[in-house]
Amino acid sequence: MSDRGMLSRLAESLYWIGRYVERADDTARIIDSYVHRLVEAPTSGQDEIVRSLFSILGVESTASGALTAADALAVLAYDAANPSAIAGALVGAYENARRSRDIISSEMWVALNATRLRLPEVQATSLQLGPSTYLQFVRERAALFLGLADSTMSRDDAWRFLMLGRSVERMDMTARLLRSRVAGVSGDQDWMAFLRASGAMEAYMRSSSGLTDGSGIAAFLLIDRLFPRSILFMVHEAEQWLKELQSTQLRTAPSDPIRQHLVQAATVLEFVQSDDVLFRLHELLDLVEETCIAVNDRITERFFNRILAVSWTTEGGL
Amino acid sequence: MTVAFELDASGAWNEMFEAPGVPRALYRPVVEQLSMATMRELHQRRDLLARTFSDRGVTFAFSGEERPFPLDLLPRVISALEWDLVARGISQRVRALEAFLADVYGDGQIFNDGLIPRSVVLSSPNFIRAAKGIVPENGARVTVSGVDLIRDELGAFRVLEDNVRIPSGVSYVIENRRAMTQHASSLFSEYSVHPVDEYPSRLLAALRSAAPQVTEPVVVVLTPGVHNAAYFEHVLLARMMGAELVEGSDLICRSNKVFMRTTHGERQVHSIYRRVDDEWLDPLHFRFDSMVGVPGLVNAARAGNVAIANALGNGVADDKLVYTYVPSFISYYLGEQPLLENVETYRLEDAEIRGEVLGALDRYVVKPVDGSGGKGIVIGHLASEEELAATAAAIAADPRKWIAQRPVALSTMPTLTESTIGARHIDLRPFAINDGESVWVLPGGLTRVALAEGELVVNSSKGGGSKDTWVVDDRRRGIPQGQQRSEEPVPVLVPKASGALRQSDPVLRAEDDQ
Amino acid sequence: MSPLLLEIVHHTGFDYAEPVTLSYNEARMTPVSDACQLVRRSRLHISPSVAQGRYLDYFGTDVTTFEVTEPHVRLSVEAISLVERRTPELSSGSVSHALDTRLGDRFLEYLTPTPRSTIHQDVVDAAAAGQSLGDVHHLAENLAEFVRHNVRYVPGATSVQSTATEAWERRAGVCQDMTHLMVAILRELGVPARYVSGYLYPSTTIEPGEAIAGESHAWVEYWCGAWAGIDPTNGLRETERHVVVARGRDYDDVPPIKGIYDGSGSTQLGVRVEMTARSL
Repeated sequence: MSDRGMLSRLAESLYWIGRYVERADDTARIIDSYVHRLVEAPTSGQDEIVRSLFSILGVESTASGALTAADALAVLAYDAANPSAIAGALVGAYENARRSRDIISSEMWVALNATRLRLPEVQATSLQLGPSTYLQFVRERAALFLGLADSTMSRDDAWRFLMLGRSVERMDMTARLLRSRVAGVSGDQDWMAFLRASGAMEAYMRSSSGLTDGSGIAAFLLIDRLFPRSILFMVHEAEQWLKELQSTQLRTAPSDPIRQHLVQAATVLEFVQSDDVLFRLHELLDLVEETCIAVNDRITERFFNRILAVSWTTEGGL
Repeated sequence: MTVAFELDASGAWNEMFEAPGVPRALYRPVVEQLSMATMRELHQRRDLLARTFSDRGVTFAFSGEERPFPLDLLPRVISALEWDLVARGISQRVRALEAFLADVYGDGQIFNDGLIPRSVVLSSPNFIRAAKGIVPENGARVTVSGVDLIRDELGAFRVLEDNVRIPSGVSYVIENRRAMTQHASSLFSEYSVHPVDEYPSRLLAALRSAAPQVTEPVVVVLTPGVHNAAYFEHVLLARMMGAELVEGSDLICRSNKVFMRTTHGERQVHSIYRRVDDEWLDPLHFRFDSMVGVPGLVNAARAGNVAIANALGNGVADDKLVYTYVPSFISYYLGEQPLLENVETYRLEDAEIRGEVLGALDRYVVKPVDGSGGKGIVIGHLASEEELAATAAAIAADPRKWIAQRPVALSTMPTLTESTIGARHIDLRPFAINDGESVWVLPGGLTRVALAEGELVVNSSKGGGSKDTWVVDDRRRGIPQGQQRSEEPVPVLVPKASGALRQSDPVLRAEDDQ
Repeated sequence: MSPLLLEIVHHTGFDYAEPVTLSYNEARMTPVSDACQLVRRSRLHISPSVAQGRYLDYFGTDVTTFEVTEPHVRLSVEAISLVERRTPELSSGSVSHALDTRLGDRFLEYLTPTPRSTIHQDVVDAAAAGQSLGDVHHLAENLAEFVRHNVRYVPGATSVQSTATEAWERRAGVCQDMTHLMVAILRELGVPARYVSGYLYPSTTIEPGEAIAGESHAWVEYWCGAWAGIDPTNGLRETERHVVVARGRDYDDVPPIKGIYDGSGSTQLGVRVEMTARSL
């Protein structure tokens, strides 16, 4: 049905599989890089690190006392009920895949199903051997899933929705990461951890010939055109997916509002000077955040427009 | 350990053997093949079949758990000649039921002519008043039917019950055949077996002919969702027909038309193969708490803008009490004699008959009129004193809710068990598709086997299994042929070597050269 | 008597506490045309304005269907009809149908108790005490009197969901309850009976051109060789002031408006009926 549109419910499922798998991957990546610092820091110093992790990932902490590494993992990694946590995101991906089994390849399905089934066992192991075991496992499975998607999915609308979800989530995650750097940048050590967390270490080092400077790093993650985890790169990608999705429609509005959000964000980002990035970071990240929310909402409205599980009430009488 | 066939000591008809050690002519090739194997080999093959099924997700929900529906290695073989009679009998039965349904949801002439009391039909909870006025475009209310058959002690096929609402199980027929051809292909040698893969295209054609007149009717399969016991079948059929698999929330009715929500807007749907029960189909007319139905669907069907297959309200023809009248429908509506007999069944409303049955309850099988999946059946000679007393009380309280039958020893067939090949009871569900012009019967169908020794209830929800069912052409001299199948020569592919080497990177090649 | 020309305006509707996005509805507010009644015109005005479908249901009622698929907090339906009514004639009804089994089959649906129209045997015995079942017209009149005498007309004593048994226990109810009760008793006595929903021009003196507050009303029809109407609430036979909209086994077959909507906001119903006698 590629030229006639696909079922909204299935499109929505694929979009969210894309988002959830990316979320699990990026969250694992972020926590992994901060684990070193957590492990090295005395218990008293862990609270600050954990709190900053919570704020990066947009999770509220209800705990009153000082937070520890264990709290971080419990809330951000192991909580299967919270879609902002790694386990929760993977469960979300699995549930969506279950509902769209006939549209993803059986290998992709098996990959997600097996991941979900093995999580508890890996979690138990990591309690003994350290959280990196768990985080590493998650990142490998995410890579496997995307690799299978790449090699077993036709490049049709189903694929585009999957990729669109991934782009939107990655934009969001990278912006969060950058925001965490605004306060209290202190030295090379911090920047290294940061680069690792964003998966940009080697790429940045090659592009900057070994210089680590805050401004350059922030600029790399925000506006680099070649690095696939940079926000501008993701904005262009998302725009491309949307263009392809809409070109299969019979009637396209000349200036499509969803793409407008992305085009506007891209325009602003393209004209930012590297040196200005740190100075304007807040304002730019606000823009990115708004764009992510707007794009997600507009996509949902335009393509998914499904009335969620309606519960009916009867009316009747004289 | 070599293979030994245990026979059943009861008077039941044995499908495979006409006497101990003497296989029926039709089965000789199969028996020869099996006799050359050891039990261990057979068990290995059985496990291979089971694994294939799990991998493909062919399961059945039993007590809330997904279990494979075990396929027994030994196929059931029926000659095309015998099958021809069965197929004609089923076609006749379906046509009679169609006429009955059209009548009771129309003028009710059969009531006026006194052939069946209104109370049997109108008091049934399956009589759907909203179905009145819905006339299918191609006249077919029973697009898919499953008329369950058994073989009696004399080897004659009899109708056990009609299923014209949402008969399921055809996915097992298709998967069984696939698995057998892959993993037990040697058994097929010497047989010319009628294929079963025509089913989905026949179903699609029937669904299209039921649709309102448009050039390209859009056909969908409506499923209650992943939690439904038969979900696998919904997915399989949708895929094989190239139809979209939708859930209630994917559809919306506007101005008596039905639309599917897609990323490109709403697309009109013309024909729905619905696997959702009547009660749950339309919250406007039936259960308002249904999350799997589509409000407005019934009114859209009545307006002629969408076809619902199978039609609303078919349950009155499914009813075990109405079953007892079906032979009279065949003569009343078709002017014909039944080609397939019912199992002898007694209605319990008549005081005299009821008295006789209640007086010797242990010698009958009583069934609730509304039961399905073998639920509520009481087999007199197997039931305890308490069960019999409770059943007698229930019958006395509401005789209309029960029918009684003499126990029929279902035919048996050798079936692979843990230690041996034992005789187990079987029945048969052939599937038929009515496109309004004619009724096509799938060659074979689902043979269900009760896996427990002596167990008479074969339904899958009671933990049964199945057998691949073959309709075969009889090639022996002097015996008339059944329906001929054309045979194409099978091209033989011989791989050719091209001589080109596979590529590898310079580093490795350099190492090789050294 | 010359026929009566009545114009009926029936307002009904729902107010929702929170906006409702989706609702599917059926209205049974269109009078039927038959031997005593000719519908000159009948129209439904619905707000929000939506497309209407129409069909005749199993009981022969003219049903209007519509759905609202945009957010709204109020659904209002107004049915305006112009109907010519004749006084129904009473056919001779001195045949006892109580035990005729062929009739029992033919009118099965009107002889079978429904959940709303079920009543204890004691009440039936009390109602039928000392009556001959031979003349069905007298029987009907006496039963109507029995119901009227024992159940007071008290609006609000019961709800739209109430049953005959509940109304009897309370000894209070409205026309819907009285009708259910009488229908239940008739059926137990073997007389086919059905529930009629419609309107009643309440005043015996006709004031042409004057719109008076009418009633959305219910009464009984029983079989006497033909269907005859009787109004237990008002102690009357069916007259030319009664306008028939729908007939069924009980209220559930003929609700003026029924439907489903997404949401849980409570609904409040305002019902208003205006009837005006017009000169022919």
